[in-house]
Amino acid sequence: MHSLKDYLRLYFIIETQYIKARMQYRADFIISSIGMFFSSLATLGIFWVILGSIPDLAGWSFMQLVFIYGFYMIAISPMQILFDHIWQIRFHVQQGTFLKYYFRPLNMMFYYMSEMFDIKGLTQLAAGIVILIYASIRLDLDWTLPRVALLLLTLFSASLVQISITVLAGCAAFWVLDAYPVLGLAWKLREFAPYPMNIFDGAFRFTFTFIIPLGFVAFYPSQLFLQPEDVSSLVYFSPLVGVGLFALTYWVWTKGVNSYTGTGS
Amino acid sequence: MSLIHIKDLTKHFKILNRREGLSGAFRDLFSGNYRTVEAVAGVSFDIEAGEIVGYIGPNGAGKSTTIKMMTGILKPTGGMLQVNGLMPYDNRIRQAQIMGVVFGQRTQLWWDLPVIESFKILKEIYKVDQKMFDRHMDMFNELVGLKALYSQQVRTLSLGQRMLCDISASFLHNPQVVFLDEPTIGLDISIKAKIRSVIKELNREHNTTIILTTHDLGDVEALCQRIIIIDKGKILYDGDIKRVNALFGAYRTLKLQIDDFTAATLQTLTGKLTEKFGAEHGISIAETEELWTDVTIDQARTPLSDVLNFVMSNFGVDDVRIVEISMENVVRKVYDGALK
Amino acid sequence: MKSYLAVLRGSFMVGLVYRFGFLFSIAGNIIYMSITYFLWRSIYQNRETLRGLTFDQTYIYVALGSAVFILLKTYVDWQMSYEIREGTVATYLTKPIDLQFYELFMSLGFFLMSLGAITIPTILLLVFVFRIEIPLGLGLAIFPFSLILAYLLSFCFDYFIGLLCFYTESVWGLSITKEILVTVLSGALIPLPFFPDVIHKILLWLPFQAIYYTPLTMVAQPNLGWGTFLPMLAVQLFWVIALFTLTRLFYNQAIKVLRISGG
Ligand SMILES: Nc1ncnc2c1ncn2[C@@H]1O[C@H](COP(=O)(O)OP(=O)(O)OP(=O)(O)O)[C@@H](O)[C@H]1O
Ligand SMILES: [Mg+2]
Repeated sequence: MHSLKDYLRLYFIIETQYIKARMQYRADFIISSIGMFFSSLATLGIFWVILGSIPDLAGWSFMQLVFIYGFYMIAISPMQILFDHIWQIRFHVQQGTFLKYYFRPLNMMFYYMSEMFDIKGLTQLAAGIVILIYASIRLDLDWTLPRVALLLLTLFSASLVQISITVLAGCAAFWVLDAYPVLGLAWKLREFAPYPMNIFDGAFRFTFTFIIPLGFVAFYPSQLFLQPEDVSSLVYFSPLVGVGLFALTYWVWTKGVNSYTGTGS
Repeated sequence: MSLIHIKDLTKHFKILNRREGLSGAFRDLFSGNYRTVEAVAGVSFDIEAGEIVGYIGPNGAGKSTTIKMMTGILKPTGGMLQVNGLMPYDNRIRQAQIMGVVFGQRTQLWWDLPVIESFKILKEIYKVDQKMFDRHMDMFNELVGLKALYSQQVRTLSLGQRMLCDISASFLHNPQVVFLDEPTIGLDISIKAKIRSVIKELNREHNTTIILTTHDLGDVEALCQRIIIIDKGKILYDGDIKRVNALFGAYRTLKLQIDDFTAATLQTLTGKLTEKFGAEHGISIAETEELWTDVTIDQARTPLSDVLNFVMSNFGVDDVRIVEISMENVVRKVYDGALK
Repeated sequence: MKSYLAVLRGSFMVGLVYRFGFLFSIAGNIIYMSITYFLWRSIYQNRETLRGLTFDQTYIYVALGSAVFILLKTYVDWQMSYEIREGTVATYLTKPIDLQFYELFMSLGFFLMSLGAITIPTILLLVFVFRIEIPLGLGLAIFPFSLILAYLLSFCFDYFIGLLCFYTESVWGLSITKEILVTVLSGALIPLPFFPDVIHKILLWLPFQAIYYTPLTMVAQPNLGWGTFLPMLAVQLFWVIALFTLTRLFYNQAIKVLRISGG
């Protein structure tokens, strides 16, 4: 029915209106941006405190961790900016307001997510870029054109991983009344994505690589840039991981939407 | 081929039986026993293009569930359902283009946006061309004169204003069929009247098929030629409104608060009414709530105004209300064989 | 008092409906604790102590920290912002009920709920399945009292943010800022001695540390003796009284906004 171009156009129209409407709440926007800023700094602060007591964390220096963290911040921004409405899904499903998303001749995931555009996520994105640039200067990384292209590709894939993990967690709302802890756990686990995966052993490393692939949000792809000579072959799969995982997520979402029976009224 | 074709349609829900009280809630933590609700239990009807059909029944009858199936939200448990030749659940996006839906008090407009922006977004979604869009907006504005509200955020509209906008929006893309689930719920008489005239006009303009559920029999009377009565998931009546009209159209209940009310008052009242209007007066009397006496009158036999005048001049009356017969009473009368 | 107890019972029962959530929260807690285990093990590597704390002490500290984290989150700020936005807060003003106590008892229901359904099972799992040895000692005995004080403090913070919603209408930014400040500065994630000395000293003067650092230290190092614990409890008590009073005073200010602008 609608082409990709139609959808982009529609998204643009809806979001400009949405941003206009949000801008009326200026205080909210400013406070939220400050909140976002603080929460961005918190993990950096933790790295800083920890590495004040020890020389390195599992072989990674402070500045290398900062680089991973910058990568992470950029990678989680698309989720924050474009898919933020997933947090509301529990309410929509419980109160029956989710019904309205069925009534338009549109892709439902698109229609649902288009209702929120999180401007403050842009603060996070900007902070991530600054941190990444700062760390790569301090680390003396050498950016050639192919490497920049590789960076963009891996960031794209990493953000798909983050989107998929969160949306999958949100989809639990279609089957259980109290899906909040699932999203909560996904949110909490996310905080560990910028940590080096080699602090984990056996089962956990396996889990964060293959089951809840948090490792692909930041740590694995960053290795391509931090130690390009010495990466495991796994890392080269990271673009595929993002796309594959998103396909799975979309499938689960569709299942959920089809099985939702709505509240009686 | 009719526009909507339904045969032996069923929908079952599985519900967890919750136990009562604190200890029950604890036990529910670990085990659940489920029971099945047959919300729609074998329903068949056909609706032709251009009809306005009133789909009515008491609470929990299965109206909304049927509509959810017709709009492609719910998958039927069994039976046959086609809208415009297709099964809605399997062709949701395609079907959405030819349908309009309004679900009670839940708006489908963009909560934070000005009304007009919602309409503009819908214009893009349904690819409505500018000419048709302008024509629709003009016509809608002529009918209800809401132009002044266009720049207001949807969230700030009153319930009635929002409902009018929602209804208008559901017709914007010139759908073949519009489903209105309780469009007048919680609204006052004047807005109700406006909504009825808008629905009627929009139906006339493009010969749009409309399926309407409501608890207000006035809506049905004003709009529909045909009604379908459903109760407990089964159809009780499907046909011309005129026959049903005789059931609820003619009846009114006069609620009276009579001075110095005693048990004997009811008897005196009954006696005096029989004396005045004869044995075949079609009036029944009951005390429903404290202090209120209900006098239900069949207007085909005795004019309400006569009864009212008579009572007022013979008894001291503190307060009077006139109410239409309720949905539940209609259904009860249908069960009692009133339409046989 | 009776009406407050009814509020408590009600919110307790609402919590019980969410059975899946509890099982999932426990599982989530275990995962989270395992992650912290690996993190801290790799921080310690082969070192005996860091900043005067052994690995066991630190791990008990952070693991218990994540177990009580859910307890000490009252969600009062979110609840209040919801009530303010929906206008239901106005209906409390018409009832003979004190908003602060109403919110406190409302959240206490959830507190007891999560205590029974999440925290205690988690701690039992920690002790019996994961074989974490919690050292016995005076501190462990005082811990429950300290935890209650910590809860009241946490409540005061959340209630304060909730009151701020009378002015801002939205809670996200405020709440997230508060949460970050509290988790980092209270020592919920990292024991305070790990902070650089100057910062450590400053943090001890702030109210945040009384929420996590105080009760957790009592369990992690239970043998510090009355000489250490008594002042700690006194400081907690001081902050509870101070913040309770301050938020009450602030309520009188905030409520005017509602009366003027009509919620
Ligand atoms: N999602 C659901 N899960 C379980 N049971 C449901 C669900 N939706 C509806 N029901 C049950 O199905 C029956 C029919 O409900 P439905 O909403 O169709 O009634 P209705 O005719 O629209 O009533 P009302 O006039 O009150 O809106 C009711 O008994 C209801 O409890
Ligand atoms: Mg209904």
